[in-house]
Amino acid sequence: MAEKRITIRTTRFDPEKDKAPRLQSYDIPFSDDSMVVLDALNHIKAHVDGSLSYRWSCRMGICGSCGMMVNGVPKLTCNAFMRDYWPRSITVEPLQNFPIVRDLVIDMEDFMHKLKSIKPWIIRKQEYPLGAGEHRQTMDQIDEFRQFSECINCMLCYAACPVYGLNNEFLGPAATALARRYNLDSRDQGLKDRLPVLANSEGVWECSFVGECSVVCPKGVDPAKAIQQTKLDTTTRFVLPYGNREE
Amino acid sequence: MTEGDEAAASTGTAPRVYKPEMPRGWWLRRRHYFLYMVREFTAVPMAAWLLWLLVEIQRAANGPKGYYPAASPAFIVFSIICLGFATYHSVTFLSLAGVIIHLRFMGKPVPPRAIVATMFGLWLVASVVIAAVLIGFAR
Repeated sequence: MAEKRITIRTTRFDPEKDKAPRLQSYDIPFSDDSMVVLDALNHIKAHVDGSLSYRWSCRMGICGSCGMMVNGVPKLTCNAFMRDYWPRSITVEPLQNFPIVRDLVIDMEDFMHKLKSIKPWIIRKQEYPLGAGEHRQTMDQIDEFRQFSECINCMLCYAACPVYGLNNEFLGPAATALARRYNLDSRDQGLKDRLPVLANSEGVWECSFVGECSVVCPKGVDPAKAIQQTKLDTTTRFVLPYGNREE
Repeated sequence: MTEGDEAAASTGTAPRVYKPEMPRGWWLRRRHYFLYMVREFTAVPMAAWLLWLLVEIQRAANGPKGYYPAASPAFIVFSIICLGFATYHSVTFLSLAGVIIHLRFMGKPVPPRAIVATMFGLWLVASVVIAAVLIGFAR
């Protein structure tokens, strides 16, 4: 029986030589139904063309490094099974809406800056002394923010967001979801520190609720929900007399 | 690959990067994007119909004597089209309420489906009340 094969087309861009990215085709064996797109890239790098550049790490959908456009859709390549595409060819491109550094590698500086701006850590007005023991939470308190804490910073949501594509100043889905994760945490007291970033014109109000960020999220975080709920919260704080109470 | 701006590539000693641009037809690429654009577009015919309503209010400023409502077939067709867009806008807007509104009842989160059903129920009640008032005035 003839060996099953598949065509992988990947973006190639060498900043030293190329003026613009181009696509290059590779015909590789598709030997195992459990193969994912990342396996195909690793096969190309190991056996066909060692110069192909891309990011990956855990291969288990946890680290969030291997996000790329697979046939035009933002995906974790470690979670994109080739059997779902075969016998069609698979086109792998860098995450859209980001500058391309080389081949499939994007420049994530903008996202890292945005992530830092929302202070994604627990802020206390007064530190809880270690000697006082653990800061206990009920299951209900954990359930308040659990969904938003699942974010792995893979940036698929930014690649799916046309608002971010048109205006890179937009804070974006993942950063807002993580801000909400901490704002909903009963141990956190940093809401007022985050509000200037969340509620400004490039914050949550730039979002016009396309909703595609939540569709592509591999972890079910639902960043669109985080953004819309933050809109409601900031409005409530502005309109209602008790809205600016200390949290 | 999307068209890119070659000139936008950075120069000098910093690593050169390629900055892709959003193609104009981005909203035709995926069904979800297209439906989003339709939802946003519904505001245009709704705004046109409301502008017409302002004109009618102006025409009726002198009271019922001498006022006759617009009833041409073209206007009726325009109104029906606007009603279609308004309905689409309302349905999509109210369907999103379950995502946006975060309520607790008896210490438990209210399921999004219950919130959406309540919103549609309130929409129905408001429509009936407004229709009753308008019919009452017309008599």
